[in-house]
Amino acid sequence: MDTPLREPTFLILTALAREPMHGYAIIGEVVGLSDGRLSLRPGTLYGALDRLTDAGLVELDREETVDGRLRRYYRLSPSGDATLAAETERLRRNVEAATARLRARRVQPLAPRTAGGLA
Amino acid sequence: MNRLERRYRRLLWAYPANYRRERSEEIVGTYLDLAGPGRRWPSPADVADLVRGGLRQRLRAAGANDLLPGVRLAALLALTTATFLAGFWAVLEWQSPPAGAGVPAFGPFVSIGAVAWFAWLLAALLTLVAPGRPTRAAVAAAMLLTATTPLVSLVIDVPRPPLYVLLPPVVLGVLALAVDGRLPLAARVLPITAALAGASLDAFWNRPGAYWGWYNWTAEQVLPAAGGALLAVALLLAVGLGIRRDRRGWWTVMVLLTPVGLLNVHPLAGAVDGLASAATRPTYPTMVATAITVGLLGAALLPAAVALRRRQVVPEPVAPCPTCGAHR
Repeated sequence: MDTPLREPTFLILTALAREPMHGYAIIGEVVGLSDGRLSLRPGTLYGALDRLTDAGLVELDREETVDGRLRRYYRLSPSGDATLAAETERLRRNVEAATARLRARRVQPLAPRTAGGLA
Repeated sequence: MNRLERRYRRLLWAYPANYRRERSEEIVGTYLDLAGPGRRWPSPADVADLVRGGLRQRLRAAGANDLLPGVRLAALLALTTATFLAGFWAVLEWQSPPAGAGVPAFGPFVSIGAVAWFAWLLAALLTLVAPGRPTRAAVAAAMLLTATTPLVSLVIDVPRPPLYVLLPPVVLGVLALAVDGRLPLAARVLPITAALAGASLDAFWNRPGAYWGWYNWTAEQVLPAAGGALLAVALLLAVGLGIRRDRRGWWTVMVLLTPVGLLNVHPLAGAVDGLASAATRPTYPTMVATAITVGLLGAALLPAAVALRRRQVVPEPVAPCPTCGAHR
């Protein structure tokens, strides 16, 4: 699996980090995690889950039939756990670097540049 | 089974049969969970999602997961090549014949082709500043303007570039429609850089007073060179990505073979005519026949490569149900 992870992939793995979930629950969880910005459709979600399963990051947990509908639950594999942890660490460092620079910028505003010296 | 469920199940025909057998209950169930009360038809977005998902699954089953990323890479290279040519031809268009020479022109331009070339330059600019839908719309407009140039030229009776100059940008434009809307800046800058390079090359080559040109001789030099450069860059990328175990570059080469062939119609037709009759320049019928052959071979090449790849893929055993252990 290519890194850095794309946002939908990152959010699917984040959703599954709490507990095994079925497709419909993952879609709802991703909507919540992204503050409603990202709404996966089932065709896209199951394609992503297939790719994550192929890459060994997600595993099938169990199957249930609820109200006559089949639900498959997916869980994060140990490899998926490690990938999500590494990606989270990478993002955390980026956020820390950006936060430190923004803080320094507000403490010491940049001096205005002058061309040709003072008249 | 209600009507909505039946309609979703019908759309699942986009998926391969064995995948449908294994996953249809789960996918349709999720769509039904998401459908609001009273819904009777899948939404257009659901239809597009299922068709896209089905296509991806078919490619995955054929072991061609890298095809779509390869096409996206080819789209960027195609757009860059088309805008290089547009930059080159846009400068040539300004070199109209002197007044009184009696040569037909299109206002201050050599031909009506100028309209199409400026549309391509706009597409190059939009790739840099407004990637995504605006870029794709501009590419589609440029492609349509290029494709309809012969008809417009006929209707309003003005000169146009030769067909073998107009055809490659149309085919490159079809590919360029797949350009990724989330390209990094380094990639977005490529089409406009190529356009400026093309314009600079023509401005340097055809200095004022030294040449007022028509397309034929110039195109015979520029199109094969552009085709050769496109193929060389695609091959280098394929080798470089292949070293990192990324196979998308070979699909990029595969889909670019048709435009590369069309850019080389003149030398290819020349080789055919040269072999048959030792003619120094290809005849018009040979060039038409060569372009049709390249188009047909190119159209057949990709499905053949996917079919070949599918034969090499060993089907994975279906995993048993983790709850009951049954094999479906």
